[in-house]
Amino acid sequence: MRPRFRGLRATGIRETADSRLAHDNRGARAGAGGPRYPGWLVLPAVAWHVLFFLVPLGFIVATSFGTVVGFSDIAYTWSLDNYRYLWDDVVGELHIYRDIFFATFKLSIIGTLSTLVIGFPLAYYIARYAKHKTLLLLLVIVPFWTSFLIRAYAWLIVLDPEFPLFRALGLSDFVERQGILFSEKAIYIGVAYNYLPLMVLPLYAALERMDWSLVDAAQDLGDSPLRAFRRVTLPLALPGILAGSLLVFIPLTGEYIIPVILGGNKTFYAGSLIAQQFLESGDWPLGSAIAMVVIGALTIVLLVYARALGKQEQFG
Amino acid sequence: MSDELTIWERPVHRRGFVAGATAAALTAAGLGRFGAADALAAAEAEGTLFYYNWAQYVNPKTYAAFTKATGIKVKKGFYDSNETLAAKLRGGARGYDLVCPTGYMTKELISEKRLLPLDWSQLGNVTKNVDPKFRRTSDDPKGTYSVVKDWGTTGFMYRTDKIKERPTTWKEFVALTKKYSKTTMVDSSPEVVGSIATMLGYSYNTENKKELDQVKKVLLDLKPHIVALHSSNYDTLIAKGQAWMGLGWNGDGLALAGKVPAQYVVAREGGEIWIDYYNIPAGASNPDAAHAWINFVYQPRIAGLETSYTYYGSPLKRSLLKGTPAGKLLADKVVFPPAATVKKLETNQVSANGKRLRERIWTEFKAS
Repeated sequence: MRPRFRGLRATGIRETADSRLAHDNRGARAGAGGPRYPGWLVLPAVAWHVLFFLVPLGFIVATSFGTVVGFSDIAYTWSLDNYRYLWDDVVGELHIYRDIFFATFKLSIIGTLSTLVIGFPLAYYIARYAKHKTLLLLLVIVPFWTSFLIRAYAWLIVLDPEFPLFRALGLSDFVERQGILFSEKAIYIGVAYNYLPLMVLPLYAALERMDWSLVDAAQDLGDSPLRAFRRVTLPLALPGILAGSLLVFIPLTGEYIIPVILGGNKTFYAGSLIAQQFLESGDWPLGSAIAMVVIGALTIVLLVYARALGKQEQFG
Repeated sequence: MSDELTIWERPVHRRGFVAGATAAALTAAGLGRFGAADALAAAEAEGTLFYYNWAQYVNPKTYAAFTKATGIKVKKGFYDSNETLAAKLRGGARGYDLVCPTGYMTKELISEKRLLPLDWSQLGNVTKNVDPKFRRTSDDPKGTYSVVKDWGTTGFMYRTDKIKERPTTWKEFVALTKKYSKTTMVDSSPEVVGSIATMLGYSYNTENKKELDQVKKVLLDLKPHIVALHSSNYDTLIAKGQAWMGLGWNGDGLALAGKVPAQYVVAREGGEIWIDYYNIPAGASNPDAAHAWINFVYQPRIAGLETSYTYYGSPLKRSLLKGTPAGKLLADKVVFPPAATVKKLETNQVSANGKRLRERIWTEFKAS
């Protein structure tokens, strides 16, 4: 789509084009120039948002201040008991819930970093060097056509010491000793595998747009390849890195299928904790309160992210 | 041998992994609360039974025979815990015609008015063939809402080829768990907490805070030695040799012993005896089809077919099971434990408060 320019002069032209675009945008916002759209076009989006986001969120908020009566009935008592229970745990000696929240944070961070480390070279290769970009991208996307659940279950077979390949190579005992299946290691493997496309695609989108002649120019002017990467490629890829990290990090905070299937269901994360309250314990108020804590924590992360993005845009 | 068993193998158990998978998938898709039943109910034509059940809890031959005999098609859904089923019904799911909760959950659902009263005029085979002692139980004293489907025990099973000991008590089970670190358990607080309580000499249903604290202590000590907590495929793990012992249900234990050298044990200290019931939820679309199913499976031949598949006790009069595929199981002490064994077992009778205390213990156990 985007024209490729060569050399420094061309970059100058590109900047002009960009600033013209920016000018057009300003015009549209000010109501002058550019096509104008009737305001009611936003209604479906707003209705969707209210109906499927704000209303359910309202229910969760209301439920989180409720109490369980009998086995399962919820009384909307507007009490702070659930939050107090969580708070007492967090500052208390046992701090089970605090540990779960930390474990969740750790899982999300490690998951994000590992997909970034694995995904970046892949996206870089596809965007810069690959001949059959479409084919390679397709291969990244194809696993998505299979159910998330089945992809997680598939690892049960692969990580099993009795996996035919291990047996053929005589590795069964070695794998057995590693004790991967039903451990944290298995969870991290499952996470890295299942979330990789969410990281690769935005990275690719950012790198694909890049004008590689800028890297050439930096090296022509004396930068080492590494320095050129750090000063040119990385800043230009940053939007992709941030977008990919967000796409991986946020769903990971609610992840619970992989720990159940690959972790043997004996390690708790926020997602499994919430599912447990709703599906097993029948304690929707406590489950809602935990969900609110997670939403609150995520909001903080998002604010930090927004700041980082804002800074990035100033320089980018 | 375990080498030949693979993950693809059909797991024979009451609470199969399909169920966990289904529940997880639906929840993942955001459909957990209402989606499944509603979506299917919408497509439901007359003459379809939506049977929501534990996985691997019906002989596949029975489905075919039922459709052939009545013309009613069966739509299947699966759950892997009573609590998941209850969460669906409490969340307002409609369209399930027939469900099979355990006694304590049937009792809760009755008290919450989530079940339809049965029309006994459509259940001639039940009246005729079911042992009278199963017609009235403490869970539903007048038999208004429920018919006994199966009954069984909660104990433990172990691989006789991997473990040289021959444990018969919960104490030994706990000791061997610490010794080998090869134990799985069902992912269900009532069974695990209750069983450990009986080990300590308390009631299966204890609500005493001090007693439950001791149970918690035992459980937290055990945690590092647990391979996995799955109501779904815990027995598959034992069959594959990834675990050597498991806390679970008798039918699973016997099915396991049919595949690998294994033994199921009702612990000497005691444990749970449970009864699963046929219930028709208040939101059922086709209660007539549900009645037809219940009546159909209480023909002796079909009941025998079921028992020979699930390995759980049938409520039918014993004499009627002779000459059916279940005939040879009548003498099996795992399927039909002797009266002396049954006497020391308790049914789950935990109150709402006791349940909350147990759930907190369970959360700590799983999180530790």
